[in-house]
Amino acid sequence: MNTARAELRKLLTLPSLRWTAVLTWAGTALLAYAYGVTQPRGDAAGLAPLGYAQAGFLVLGVLTAAAEYQAGGQIRTTLIAMPRRLPLQGAKDLTLAAVTLPVAAATAAISTLPAGGGTWTPAATAYLTLTTLLAAAVTGIVRQALPGVVLLLGLYFIAGPLLRARYGAVAAYLPDTAALDPARGAAATITWTLAALVLAAVTFARRDAAQG
Amino acid sequence: MVSPVRAELRKLLGLPTARVALVLGTLLAPVVVLLNAPYNRRALAAGTLSDPTQLGLRELGVGLIGALVLGVVVVSSEYTSTGDDAPGARQLTATLTAVPHRLRLLAAKTVALVLVVAAQAAVTAAGTLALTQALHGEYVPLPAPERVAAAILYWVLTALLAYAITLITRTGIVPLTLLILNSTVVSVSYLLTKLTDLAAYLPDIAGAHMFLRTDGFPVELAPVTAGLVMTAWVITLLAVGAVLFHRRDA
Amino acid sequence: MITIDHVSKIKGKTPILYDVSFEARPGRVTGFLGPNGAGKTSTLRILLGLDRPQTGTALVCGRPYRKIDRPLTTVGALLDGSGAHRARTARAHLRWVAASNGLPGSRVDEVLEVVGLTSNARKRAGRFSLGMSRRLGLAAALLGDPAVLVLDEPVNGLDPAGIRWMRGFLRDSAAQGRTVLLSSHLMGELAETADDVVVIDKGRIVLHGGLADVIGAHRTLEDAFFALTGTEAGGAW
Repeated sequence: MNTARAELRKLLTLPSLRWTAVLTWAGTALLAYAYGVTQPRGDAAGLAPLGYAQAGFLVLGVLTAAAEYQAGGQIRTTLIAMPRRLPLQGAKDLTLAAVTLPVAAATAAISTLPAGGGTWTPAATAYLTLTTLLAAAVTGIVRQALPGVVLLLGLYFIAGPLLRARYGAVAAYLPDTAALDPARGAAATITWTLAALVLAAVTFARRDAAQG
Repeated sequence: MVSPVRAELRKLLGLPTARVALVLGTLLAPVVVLLNAPYNRRALAAGTLSDPTQLGLRELGVGLIGALVLGVVVVSSEYTSTGDDAPGARQLTATLTAVPHRLRLLAAKTVALVLVVAAQAAVTAAGTLALTQALHGEYVPLPAPERVAAAILYWVLTALLAYAITLITRTGIVPLTLLILNSTVVSVSYLLTKLTDLAAYLPDIAGAHMFLRTDGFPVELAPVTAGLVMTAWVITLLAVGAVLFHRRDA
Repeated sequence: MITIDHVSKIKGKTPILYDVSFEARPGRVTGFLGPNGAGKTSTLRILLGLDRPQTGTALVCGRPYRKIDRPLTTVGALLDGSGAHRARTARAHLRWVAASNGLPGSRVDEVLEVVGLTSNARKRAGRFSLGMSRRLGLAAALLGDPAVLVLDEPVNGLDPAGIRWMRGFLRDSAAQGRTVLLSSHLMGELAETADDVVVIDKGRIVLHGGLADVIGAHRTLEDAFFALTGTEAGGAW
């Protein structure tokens, strides 16, 4: 439909998103090499670089959502062209997922396949894509890139590991556990992402449009 | 020189993001010490805590995110669009109109940042160590003043690192992502030390050696050496950032 | 045809619009006049579905904006700035806007031609001057060849040639039967352009009617405006 096509064009014509995708893939490849050299092959070596790759996917989600709210007032153009907010939010989420999927697959592959952890590639792809959606949802609520980045990276890379180290049981409820221990964390990731998407949709539908 | 510095201080402390970073960065470490207290008490009593003399100092790291954000925001706030009419207009225009000599401007910004971050570091260090003493005093001696000073220096250098990278990239996203990633329990730099001994000279690894003693590193740097290495990194990146700032169009 | 009916809006705790009602009719240019902060932009944002009023309705051709299918074919809106992300080129911006309403890509080149931005189509929106940004915004508003035009301070940032062009363009649009609603605080310009005038001050409609009626016994629209809104020349800004 028209809305999806427009959102797709938006995603594909923003240079910062391309850069983020490329740098994330390249960084993951580098890390995969580093792990490959220093650790024996297997699932651990395959999944470990993804712990870092998810930062790139978080940033991708943040940048996508924040782009609407940067000065220039794009959010107003968007809402004037497509005023029905729930379908718009749905189209945004779907197109973001569609665009992220190939990038996630490429990143998951470069990390897991060389190390022989190929069975995890589909799950890793799904995880990275969900991570981007979660980041976009959160940033859609705060409407600024910097707080979004600090919030998400802070949760994933500072608060998360601290909580897991101190209170092991919490691990099953944190969104990023799946990167370390897929079996345990999958449900949490899915739940967190869905909750964030719903919250973002509700606030988007009800709020006054940002001043721009 | 005093006026530009005062102006930069006002600018920095007037930013909501900076204020949040200031408060959070100061409170995070003491809060973590508080939350960990029961666990640490038991471990200390049982003698199972690794290297109890570093308790308190180790926890300081968690508040660094405040310093990072401050370093970033000093620069990134100049580059955000000031309004919808002309997205090319930035606060930088107003700033450079007031203080056209760019290196002077940078010097003022740097001084303002150092003052704010050093103050924050001192407060959080005092608070965290005092709290550690109150909770675990019997087991944990007060760290030597040089080590506390080194921790404060590390804090300031980290903020300057974020500041320098933001000057170069003109966006806060890159330094924040890089430096937050690197502050994790298993940082990228740490990983690289396994690949090559040279990685021990990366700024955050070297810097931490200024006041912490950690195992597992192939190269042990003496605190003074570590401080010099990290300072060298900061100076180099600041120089690159300054040159770019000086030469680029606003 | 635009119908604003008893619209009230409270922002946070502050009321900013009180029982605002007026009409903008087809074939006429309606000028929405008021001091800064009077509520012009707020009213337009409610009309365009960006904000929600506490009471009242704002209808375009009898329907609320959000209920209009492919709204850009009915309403073209020019608000603050260009409405484009600064990293995107003008053409890329217009192409996604066109796609959002199922409009053909050929329209992009046509509107770029109309507003005179063809040579700047590949430039990033962030590099545009003030005047170019406004023209880009106008281009987006014209993509759907809409019957209704809603413009917030359209000549803001335009040079004399641009102002004259805009005046002619708006009058021609009205002559073709379009409904044109423009907000402004530039009295002289408005007096040259508008058929009907709606005066708003501090969130309330003070007067509305034909240009001649609003001017009434005063010499100029500017005199009438200051008399109606009770603002002193050079007073509180």
